[in-house]
Amino acid sequence: MAQADIQLQIPSSVFYIEPVRVFVGHLSRSLGFSRKRVADIQLVLDEICSNAVHHGSANSTDSVKLCIGIDTHALEILVKDNGSQEAGKKSWLTHERLSEIETNRSPSSERGHGIFIAKSLSDKHEMQPNEVGGTNVRVVFRFPKPSDINL
Amino acid sequence: MDSTKLMQLREESGIKIIEIKTDLSSYAASDLRKVLEGLLAEKVERVVVNLSQVSHINSTAVGALVGVAKRLRQSGGDLKICSLADNLTRTFNLIGASSVVEIYESEDSALAAF
Repeated sequence: MAQADIQLQIPSSVFYIEPVRVFVGHLSRSLGFSRKRVADIQLVLDEICSNAVHHGSANSTDSVKLCIGIDTHALEILVKDNGSQEAGKKSWLTHERLSEIETNRSPSSERGHGIFIAKSLSDKHEMQPNEVGGTNVRVVFRFPKPSDINL
Repeated sequence: MDSTKLMQLREESGIKIIEIKTDLSSYAASDLRKVLEGLLAEKVERVVVNLSQVSHINSTAVGALVGVAKRLRQSGGDLKICSLADNLTRTFNLIGASSVVEIYESEDSALAAF
């Protein structure tokens, strides 16, 4: 399969996450991921885009950028936000905040599961502040081995 | 688009049933929360959420269901969920929400559990 680099930019609104989720679902299926794994990829994408919209954007005129990379062994999704102006801090990624989210997460929590889901369902998960003061979230899903493919 | 139109409400034996006919990604999850808050405002106590036509749910939607179930229990009611596809069950299990909200295989069994 050919290597590819797909770039998308959506307005910072949850309305635009759904069409991207559907697109990434089709793409993942075409790449040979199982139905179960496609559902995982779509859920992780939904969660990290939702965090970018809710926590990493100043307002709805802002944008969220997605870079979808395909190489010989994996599908990689990078979601970049511009940061919010909340409490004078642009990036919502701080060690204190991550630690607080992880400590407070429980089955009965209404919020705060997104990062946990992304970490749990992806093969690789990285978060780091970016050059514009926002946050980059990168997740990697390795292609199934030929022996794992359900035809 | 208003996805609340894809969340149909009906009533059986005094129990409100919400049948959801859209995937529950971030956008629809906020509409689900509005529908559930509306039921709380109407003092509805017993709710079944039928997810048989849902193929995707995110943590915001799960959180809304968990939150309303907890609030209904405080007033002697409850919210039960039914007819989950396998991947939805995995999401509930991953978050741990299946230990907080009662999940049933069918709408009939959820209704009978009240």
